[in-house]
Amino acid sequence: MSEGAPSTARIVATAAPAALAIAVFGVLFGAAARPVIGPGLTFAASFLVFSGATQFATLALAAAGAAAPALLLTAAILNVRHLVMGAVLRPILGPSRMRRGLLAWFMLDETFGFTIMAAERVAPGPMREGIAERTLLVTGICCYVAWLLGTGLGLLGAGVQALSGVADALFPVLFVCLAALTARTTSLALRAVAAAALTAIVCFVAPDWRALAPAVAGLLVALPGDPRREPLQ
Amino acid sequence: MTLLVVLALAAITYGSRLSAMVLLPRPSAKVEVVLSRVPAAIFASLATLSLITPERQIVGIPVLIATAAAVVASPTRSFAICLAAGIVGYAASTLVGL
Repeated sequence: MSEGAPSTARIVATAAPAALAIAVFGVLFGAAARPVIGPGLTFAASFLVFSGATQFATLALAAAGAAAPALLLTAAILNVRHLVMGAVLRPILGPSRMRRGLLAWFMLDETFGFTIMAAERVAPGPMREGIAERTLLVTGICCYVAWLLGTGLGLLGAGVQALSGVADALFPVLFVCLAALTARTTSLALRAVAAAALTAIVCFVAPDWRALAPAVAGLLVALPGDPRREPLQ
Repeated sequence: MTLLVVLALAAITYGSRLSAMVLLPRPSAKVEVVLSRVPAAIFASLATLSLITPERQIVGIPVLIATAAAVVASPTRSFAICLAAGIVGYAASTLVGL
């Protein structure tokens, strides 16, 4: 399980494909948001919010004329999964609250997956904490720069026609990639399939609650099975 | 949307990232094992959400083929290979006019 600490270059290389995909989403966001909220606010949103899901969802609502409370409620619901993801990361990061607080800025779906993947290769302890923190920081910076560059290119009028179809496919593909990274055992892969099935049921039966499905399904499928029989990775 | 709303969105997003990472005490070993089962499930759930629209429609065939190609490549546990497989799947299905 234990390997040496990965170099910064290796972490950047690992994050590069995800950063490229995030840049594509950034271009689409920049191009879509500019006519709705203007170039200044578009860039400010990417700089300050740094969340594709939140920004795309609230932009669609704003374009439809929704009021501020609807936008904020949507953001709150979409971000519930961050609570679960933060709780997962908490034990593999170091003891400094301030450092964890700063690193929290970089916690995206992608950086979360890379951090989990890096941590599982090392036995619990200070070395693992250091590797996890560095992975979260480096992959987070890569993704943040890509998001801002993409938004800027979108604002400058980069062509989005060809990108929009690819982006539709990139969303599920990215998440399958991240599931593949983090499903290190058959048991975890089966739980992932169960979570996917639960989510599909929610989408068809109670579509108004679909935004909560990842957090709820993720927790529900994690509960069965005696944790004492499973070694801590 | 105003700058104030953007700032509120930023506060909600950062607050959600911050709260569990900073405020939670270190969990017990048992809870830690349960939490370690969550990530793959969350990502599988997010992938599923991307395949079904809010209007309960399944997305187009090229996107489904791209996703299937990524799933086929998933045993490699390589982000880059899965991503490449998905893009190739999308490109191939688009080229043949699906």
